[in-house]
Amino acid sequence: MSFAFDLYVDRASWLHRLDPRTKLAFVVFSSILLLSFSHLLVSAIFLLGIHGILWSSKVPASRLRWAWQRMWPITVLILVLWPIFYPQGEEVLWQVWRIRITTQGLWQGLSMALRVDALAFAFLVLLFSTDQARLVRGLVKLGLPYEWGLTLAIALRYLPTLYGIYTTVSEAQQARGWVVGEGSFIQRIKSYLPILVAVIVTALRLADNLSLALAARGFQPGARRTYLRELKLGLADRICLPLFAVSLISLLILRFA
Amino acid sequence: MDDLHYAYPPLTPGGEPVPVLKGVDLRVRKGEFLALMGPTGAGKTTLCLTLNGILPHLMGGTFQGKVVVAGMDTREHGPGQMSHKLGIVFQDPESQLFNMTVEDEVAFGLESLGLSSAEMEERIAWALEVVRLSGLGKRHPLQLSGGQKKRLAIATVLAMRPQVLVLDEPVTGLDPLGRHEVLSVVEQLKRESETTIVMVEQDAEAVMAWADRVAIMEGGRLVVEGSPRQVFSQVEALHNWGLAVPQMSELAHLFNQRQRASFHFITEDEACSALASKLQPGIENRKSKIANPGPSAPSPVIQVEDLCYHYNDGPLALAGVNLSIEAGDFLAIVGQNGSGKTTLAKHFNGLLRPTRGRVLVLGQDTAGQRVGQLARKVGYLFQNPDHQIFAPTVWEEVAFGPRNLGFSDEEVAARTSEALALFGLADQADTPPAVLGYGLRRQVTVAAVWAMRPQILVLDEPTAGLDWRSTCTLMEEITNLNRQGHTIILITHDMKLVAEFARQVLVLDEGQILACGPTRQVFQQEALLRQAFLAPPPITALARRMRHYGLRGDSLTIEEFYEDYTALRRDKEQGDRASATLRPCDLAP
Repeated sequence: MSFAFDLYVDRASWLHRLDPRTKLAFVVFSSILLLSFSHLLVSAIFLLGIHGILWSSKVPASRLRWAWQRMWPITVLILVLWPIFYPQGEEVLWQVWRIRITTQGLWQGLSMALRVDALAFAFLVLLFSTDQARLVRGLVKLGLPYEWGLTLAIALRYLPTLYGIYTTVSEAQQARGWVVGEGSFIQRIKSYLPILVAVIVTALRLADNLSLALAARGFQPGARRTYLRELKLGLADRICLPLFAVSLISLLILRFA
Repeated sequence: MDDLHYAYPPLTPGGEPVPVLKGVDLRVRKGEFLALMGPTGAGKTTLCLTLNGILPHLMGGTFQGKVVVAGMDTREHGPGQMSHKLGIVFQDPESQLFNMTVEDEVAFGLESLGLSSAEMEERIAWALEVVRLSGLGKRHPLQLSGGQKKRLAIATVLAMRPQVLVLDEPVTGLDPLGRHEVLSVVEQLKRESETTIVMVEQDAEAVMAWADRVAIMEGGRLVVEGSPRQVFSQVEALHNWGLAVPQMSELAHLFNQRQRASFHFITEDEACSALASKLQPGIENRKSKIANPGPSAPSPVIQVEDLCYHYNDGPLALAGVNLSIEAGDFLAIVGQNGSGKTTLAKHFNGLLRPTRGRVLVLGQDTAGQRVGQLARKVGYLFQNPDHQIFAPTVWEEVAFGPRNLGFSDEEVAARTSEALALFGLADQADTPPAVLGYGLRRQVTVAAVWAMRPQILVLDEPTAGLDWRSTCTLMEEITNLNRQGHTIILITHDMKLVAEFARQVLVLDEGQILACGPTRQVFQQEALLRQAFLAPPPITALARRMRHYGLRGDSLTIEEFYEDYTALRRDKEQGDRASATLRPCDLAP
């Protein structure tokens, strides 16, 4: 069974214990920071810092490698394309026909690539250290209606299930001599029809049963609920949150004043 | 504590005016274990849904009469409030486990009740302990086995401390070990906490073994009610309603009918003592008269050589399987879930490719043949009919396979109409298959495979979820195909089916072959079956137990046992007569 839709790594660490709201605040803080400061050093230091945080919270190196493998293509793409499309600056390194590569363009490309990586890792700090249930709890606590949060949680939970159904259905249709994903573009689209229809019908049956299961467990939309793990801001949260706010304000003043 | 009263004067729920329940009166006492049986479409699930007010509160419909559970009338209290008193566990575990961890799953209902988190912790620990899942609180529900999922589903409603627990086919689709795990949890619950249990179940042996009382539903009415002994003695009536009875009841019935005996046994112990009273122990075993047909010229249709397979990063799912299946054979593959049955079968039509070793179909290596090509030779019926049904009409659904194989329009039409006629679907040709009942949807998928006329037919648990009558019909059709020369490979957990229909059995355990041979021989090796958590059907167990009375002891069906037993009695009577006439000579000096 595939659990590829869940990035969470279960560890006991200070980062895991942080309130999901604090980590959401961190994502917002990082995004604003990275979008306002385009300097290479900011992104580089930020990336180093994040790796320090992830390392100290026992996220295994294999996870980090996995993340970099995903980020690698886009990093290279930016590194190559940025200098080509933004040929600013005087110092020309290389020129063929209209294409001009400048030192400034190269540096900008590098800082842009690192910035994108840094942004992605800011989100990964949240996703690696927060299970989906707590993440949804955090969002609900921040004002998302509970029903929406539940819907989101259920959608995330059933992604692997739907993928499993999809695999089985496509096997079943192949066993009946059906060939999937060949021929012209239109033919290929059409070849998925017998699979998609069966998947959707199965998913509808699943949804129908799910609504009964919710009712059987006393779920009533809009009713008052308690929670097994009530989110509470701990000491670390109370240190982190003002820290974010103060640093953000001072950095913004530094940048724009 | 008051007795619980459920009363259903006439009531008729259902979205469109489809009458399902037509006047049901039922009372269940506190602490009782009631089994509800009935053919598909009798209204069993509908009845369950009225018990906690899902019907009519969530689905509307016309509702007459009243349902009172633990003093609460469902007309006044919706499912939200009823869930304090009565917990329902539905058939499909997948749709009931919608959280990310086992713990959150159990917590969900408690959060609805508005409990404090300390109270929740306590109840979660208790509920998981009762269903024997302690220590798995952080697991993802998808990582659990079939039996564990069902037990978790029970824990989720159990934690809400209901007085009544309703279980809709709790063991359908589970392997024998999983069935036992679930049923023993339910029984313990009933014994220790006096929870009232209402269980919908098709399996007569399970009902016989576990329930205090049985109620039979048919056509939206309760037709019979009583102790398992009373109810299961009405063999003919039950068969007419399309229901199975325990094998021992069926055996007693056979003796009563043919020899005007008056047996009343319903358990193996009772059968043994009743039948043994007319025999003497110590007689030498009668020889098995069923001769093994001499080794005919071997013409294997499938050969598996040193097959190993593992899923991505997983452990070995198949570890060195060697197997040869002869043309025209009827082979059953049995074993626990995860023993590699389906993995093996998916190699026969190329859905999976060997990690090591090779598979030959009709003499040709499957490597290098596409699934589409192999589909001409090997038909594969998937477990869940909904995983293949997609067409707008039954006709189109059945025509899909032959059309994919590239037959002419006339040929496709001819095969389709023949298949529809053969499987009794001619009247439904223009109906969308998705709206048919489960039994008919299964028939559509069988017809669809048959229309492709594969020489080899793989059936992955085709009878799961079918009632007794549909199972009989389906097995009859499959036997007919086998008689016409099709090789049948049947994956199943139902040992009665194996005993009755399969000529060869393959027992898999952790990806390895534990036993393979003629059904009669394999079912004699009880220790080996136990190792794979399997047990022969009750009739075979009884025959084995009575071997020392002189029975052959290897009967696979009730009919075989009956003939063996009567033949033994006849021999003994003749022997008695013979010795009576000889006696004077013996006495002579």
